[in-house]
Amino acid sequence: MAYLSISKVKKQFGDAVVVDNFNLDIEKGEFISFLGPSGCGKTTTLRMVAGFELPTSGTITLDGTDITNKAPNQRNVGMIFQAYALFPNMTVSQNIGFGLRIRKEPEAAVKERVQEMINLINLEKHANKYPYQLSGGQQQRVSLARALAIRPDVLLLDEPLSALDAKIRVSLRAEIRAIQKRLGITAIFVTHDQEEALSISDRIVVMYEGRAEQVGTPFEIYNFPKTQFVANFVGSLNNADAEVVDPANGVLAMDGVQFKTADEEMKDRRKGDKVKISIRPERFSFAAEPLKDNVVDSTIENITFLGSVVRIQVKIGNTKFNMDTFNNPFLELPAIGAKEKVMCSKEAVLVLGSAGEPTGLLKDH
Amino acid sequence: MNQEKRKFPIWSWIWFILGAIYFLVPLYATLRHSLRMERDVIGFKAYVRAFEDPNFLQTFFLSNMLAVATIIASIILIVPTAYWIRLRLPQARRITEFITLMPFVIPAIILVFGLIRVYSAPIGIPFTDIAFLQPLTTTHFGTYILITAGYMVLAMPYMYRSVDTGMRTVDIRTLTEAAQSLGAGWFTIVTQVILPNIRSALLSGALLTFAIVVGEVTLASFLGVDAFGPYLFLIGQHKAYEPAALSFVTFLLTWFAMGVIQLVTGGQGQTAGAH
Repeated sequence: MAYLSISKVKKQFGDAVVVDNFNLDIEKGEFISFLGPSGCGKTTTLRMVAGFELPTSGTITLDGTDITNKAPNQRNVGMIFQAYALFPNMTVSQNIGFGLRIRKEPEAAVKERVQEMINLINLEKHANKYPYQLSGGQQQRVSLARALAIRPDVLLLDEPLSALDAKIRVSLRAEIRAIQKRLGITAIFVTHDQEEALSISDRIVVMYEGRAEQVGTPFEIYNFPKTQFVANFVGSLNNADAEVVDPANGVLAMDGVQFKTADEEMKDRRKGDKVKISIRPERFSFAAEPLKDNVVDSTIENITFLGSVVRIQVKIGNTKFNMDTFNNPFLELPAIGAKEKVMCSKEAVLVLGSAGEPTGLLKDH
Repeated sequence: MNQEKRKFPIWSWIWFILGAIYFLVPLYATLRHSLRMERDVIGFKAYVRAFEDPNFLQTFFLSNMLAVATIIASIILIVPTAYWIRLRLPQARRITEFITLMPFVIPAIILVFGLIRVYSAPIGIPFTDIAFLQPLTTTHFGTYILITAGYMVLAMPYMYRSVDTGMRTVDIRTLTEAAQSLGAGWFTIVTQVILPNIRSALLSGALLTFAIVVGEVTLASFLGVDAFGPYLFLIGQHKAYEPAALSFVTFLLTWFAMGVIQLVTGGQGQTAGAH
């Protein structure tokens, strides 16, 4: 049985269904990210685990105990907020020790644990400072220490890095992950930043319109998206309409240009079915190796320098595709308007349905 | 460098000076009057006379006690109310604000007659002869309860607004949730998290309440309470200089209280970083 189980959970505010039939099993020590756009229900789901919202239906069990209707202060769940939520009237030490004092732990034990936590977040010199005397990153580390001090069963992180600048965000997320691994604590991390989710998680739950669109490891989510929404939301993607030519051999046609795909979805197709194909920009390359499955003619439309990556826009048939290639000082780029052969493997051609349509069939309208 | 010279805010200063004159001239006049009890001599005789009167200390002490009771009762009533409205019942804010404005619209005389009318007779359970509340106006203690309740009503607009403004500057919801996730119950949250972070707002509300209660005349007169307000009113009718002296002393006490607030809060609007 899973350590934390969210089963058939639904949350409705008035007529609006914010979370619908959400199911997820989380093992002890796992780091799970809820990833999705604003309004997809990820924070509401997290708040239901924390106890700040009660599900309209469904159950949440933690270590075999039903906590669905338990008050937040009875759950032993640590929470970290986007806005830090440190108590302004307390010092760093007092903030960290707050939960322990609530639990009426002996003062000596509180002091020892507070010191342990301060060492964990490397803020030894700031123990007696007030929150307003700390930077955003330091405040969020104190918030982490405060949540961990009570030895929670689950650590919940509600977009904890959103308010921080880019460099601090990257370093703090690595710190959070390292601490989580060291303590072996189960954690749920809410974010709308795909890079954050991909870099930090054991598994990612991509959410859309209150549902878990796909659950998988970062590798699975990025390389084998199951729906159009997941493919589009995580990473960049080229989309095009195509028609099934030979379902048995995975052959599709787009503007008269044939593509081969290894997508297993093709077995269920019939000749003439309209589908949407998706190819990640980095899966294209110039056709230096003639043995690749899909070698097609293209025209160079535009070249954009993005630092470590150069994005080349090519026109295949009547459709424009982006192609990413790593930058290096000796990279020879084609001229705009030049005719070039580009290629991608048949595994790179994904046949996906639009969000909510895992069959991959396009809607008629 | 083409820096534009900053314009002197002349109109701001004119309005500020006019406002200051409006408040300071009557104050100066009161002080001057209070110091001229003896002909052609500037002295503190009016002050000495006023302090010598045993009724002064007695009424002043009573009014202070009533003010403290009003402040405590108001905090107990208003802080959880304003907190709950901000946290769980934001839709009730308009009606609550309207209710808190009622003391501005309904004169104190109507309030005191209402209180006397209702609480001067036993209050019984309808359709029975059982009285669950004896008349409050027949005992000193009962009257003190009644007048404190009346003062709470009069001070409500100031206390509620102070508390509500204090809470607006703190992220009440997130702090509450943070405390809850750490295991705190409602009492702990209010006393250890919310109250300390609206400390200066509470002190402002308390100061205003104090000023209202100490100078209040109508409720105390009609309920027959020997408070400082009626005493001041009474000697004002019979004596010329002592009321001015006492008014000035009361004013100084108010400023002293404000100074204490500045000292306690370190001159900051809220607990630093609460915003």
